[in-house]
Amino acid sequence: MSGARKSAGMPIEARRIALYLVLIALMLAAPFLFPGFRTQLAALWLMIVVALAWDMTGGQMGYNSLGNVFFYGTGMYVAAVITIALAYDVGEYTSAAGGGIHAFTDAQYFAGMALGIIGAGVFCAVCALLIGYITFGLRGPYFAIGTLGVAIAAGELVSNWEWVGGGQGISLPVYPGDLETGKVVFYFLFAAAGIALFVLLRWLYTTRFGAAMNAVRDDEEKAEAMGLHTLRYKLAAWSIAAFFVGAAGAISAFQLIHFEPLETAYQTINLGIFMVVCVLLGGKGTLWGPVVGAVLFHVFKEVTWNYLLGWQWVALGALIVVTVVYFQEGVMGYLMRRKPEWFGIRVGREAE
Amino acid sequence: MKIRSIITGLALLPALLSQAHAQCKELTVGSAISLTGKYATDGTHSKNGYDYAVEKIREAGGVRIGGQCYNFRVIYYDDESKGDRGATLAERLINQDKVQYMLGPYSSGMVKAIAPVTEKYRIPMVEAEGASRSLFNKGYKYLFAVLSTSEQYLASAITLAAEKARETGKQPSSVKVAIAVENDPFSLDIRAGVLEDAAKFGMKVVVDEKLPRDLSDMSAILTKVKVHRPDVLIVSGHSKGAATAVRQIGEQKINTPMIALTHCEVADVVGKFGDAANGILCSTQWAETLSYSDPIFGSASEYERGFKKAYPDYANKSVPYQTAQASAAVYVLKDAFERANSLDKEKLRDAIAETDLSTFYGQIRFSENGNNIAKPMVMRQIQNGKYNVVAPSEFASHKLDWPRTPR
Repeated sequence: MSGARKSAGMPIEARRIALYLVLIALMLAAPFLFPGFRTQLAALWLMIVVALAWDMTGGQMGYNSLGNVFFYGTGMYVAAVITIALAYDVGEYTSAAGGGIHAFTDAQYFAGMALGIIGAGVFCAVCALLIGYITFGLRGPYFAIGTLGVAIAAGELVSNWEWVGGGQGISLPVYPGDLETGKVVFYFLFAAAGIALFVLLRWLYTTRFGAAMNAVRDDEEKAEAMGLHTLRYKLAAWSIAAFFVGAAGAISAFQLIHFEPLETAYQTINLGIFMVVCVLLGGKGTLWGPVVGAVLFHVFKEVTWNYLLGWQWVALGALIVVTVVYFQEGVMGYLMRRKPEWFGIRVGREAE
Repeated sequence: MKIRSIITGLALLPALLSQAHAQCKELTVGSAISLTGKYATDGTHSKNGYDYAVEKIREAGGVRIGGQCYNFRVIYYDDESKGDRGATLAERLINQDKVQYMLGPYSSGMVKAIAPVTEKYRIPMVEAEGASRSLFNKGYKYLFAVLSTSEQYLASAITLAAEKARETGKQPSSVKVAIAVENDPFSLDIRAGVLEDAAKFGMKVVVDEKLPRDLSDMSAILTKVKVHRPDVLIVSGHSKGAATAVRQIGEQKINTPMIALTHCEVADVVGKFGDAANGILCSTQWAETLSYSDPIFGSASEYERGFKKAYPDYANKSVPYQTAQASAAVYVLKDAFERANSLDKEKLRDAIAETDLSTFYGQIRFSENGNNIAKPMVMRQIQNGKYNVVAPSEFASHKLDWPRTPR
């Protein structure tokens, strides 16, 4: 039996390795194959990161957070504050009254970027522990609304916090080097975050930790009764997700240069919803679902924003409705049901 | 018959060719501007100012660069009054439409979002509608603003309040100030300027509130104003904020002796609210009664007349300064192109930096940070439905009506 599985499994494994190699090559070559689309490709990786992170709680644990964008916005602000604080007084730099010229040396910029991205990730991971400790007592729609409330409140608070510029937002320095090099740098930063998260999840979902995450989703009371400390699993998973979303927010901050609290940083109605749609479209609770969903969604979004300008929100709304009403299982769910053999699942006579 | 017509055709050919040669080429400029969203009114006035200037410059023989004449053509996109949209559109203008020179968007917030993009691509941008000082401390090299910075808008209101206090035998420090501003770079800088000036006189700020995001209701703030009875009320929220303020000040019968706003003309508060607007102080970058002039647009009043003729919609209201400064920005580009005598954006940038231009809008000369340091602001008061200059004293044509008497 085990021998049979091995011989049947090998080609799938080989094909899988080949697939990964092709994808890695594509990832490395993409910004050079499509030099006109570097910014869009970087945004695609951002979507992959936030979708994968959202699926950790939303898909794998059944906790649908609408507040993950909180980590994105907070990551942006933490990175900006760290970068500015390395060179200037933050309150003076963001003052509405201006004054002085605030230029950054290359060393200050790159040090700020490195510290900012890591700092944002760590800060957001800690935030997730604190917020999660309170909100994980909520279930179902209450958890969704509770976390959404956190993100909205954070946006309003920051927009009235003068020290970080309040409603005028905050501006980081412009990338000091060559413009095209800068675009490639941002692409690979996002890509690195995406791949790191994917590899981590690919391993994590095979461990006991992954099984516990699914147990929380399938029947939390039973899991608790069996001795799983579910809150710990929930907190740990959400803080990993928060680390990556925060870091992605930090990279975005450097890429966007200027951002303001309500429409860019804590953009609950855009990115906050998009990440959920990506996962639903690709398939909730699967490893590849968020990735496939992010790619499909991003391509759909870019195409409608370019060719259906004026109707782009209608098209997007239609996509969301169709996905939620008729296609809840998502692309990966559909494929798993229709083509189980692609996933190494053999049923019926083949399994004998 | 056929042969003859061909021969005449051939004979005419050189004449046709030379005529084609004399025609001006196109010089493409890009701009993301608010045509929808909360800045739709202001954005439209700015766009009209750009378009009017493009037309006037065409009539005056276009832009002469290296012996060739050019006419401006502006590619516009609607930024929906949203910063991230503006930044995306700026990228689109530069990458897809291959625009090499930009005119600014409407509002400091939008300039703040777009300036990093133009800076990144090294595209010179002359803007006419972003006044916040926080735009000019980032060391941007490709950003130039023809207007005076925000803190100068309402500073004279505070000075006037202090003068009136002294006249009535009170200490300027006894003056109570109420501030209600939009939560955006422009209005926050207005607020910063007012706070600085109030602090100089030792005045007390009794109300310091932010207008709600959509700027459509400030009744709660006005209730607070009624309770605290300030001597000066300052409101800044672009045209939508000004319209809301005047409407609700009238509805709630706010009788603060001095009320100072920005954006009265552009919101057409006189046309919309009539007597409720009476006695309100309005800061302005430009007034048609001022004695500035230039060879393209003529004097300030000639600009106003010419503009009203070209845009009959403005016949019964005053031409907002937002329109005038937008025209001035196009004029700065023309002047800089001719001095640079080149289409190269770097040479153009250097020429803009060296601008020292007398215009119908006032003198334009840029500091090394890119803001115009050569032109003062004026303060007008709505007196019987007319905007009359009351401050500063060297420009004042009328006396200040104080305390304000809404009729």
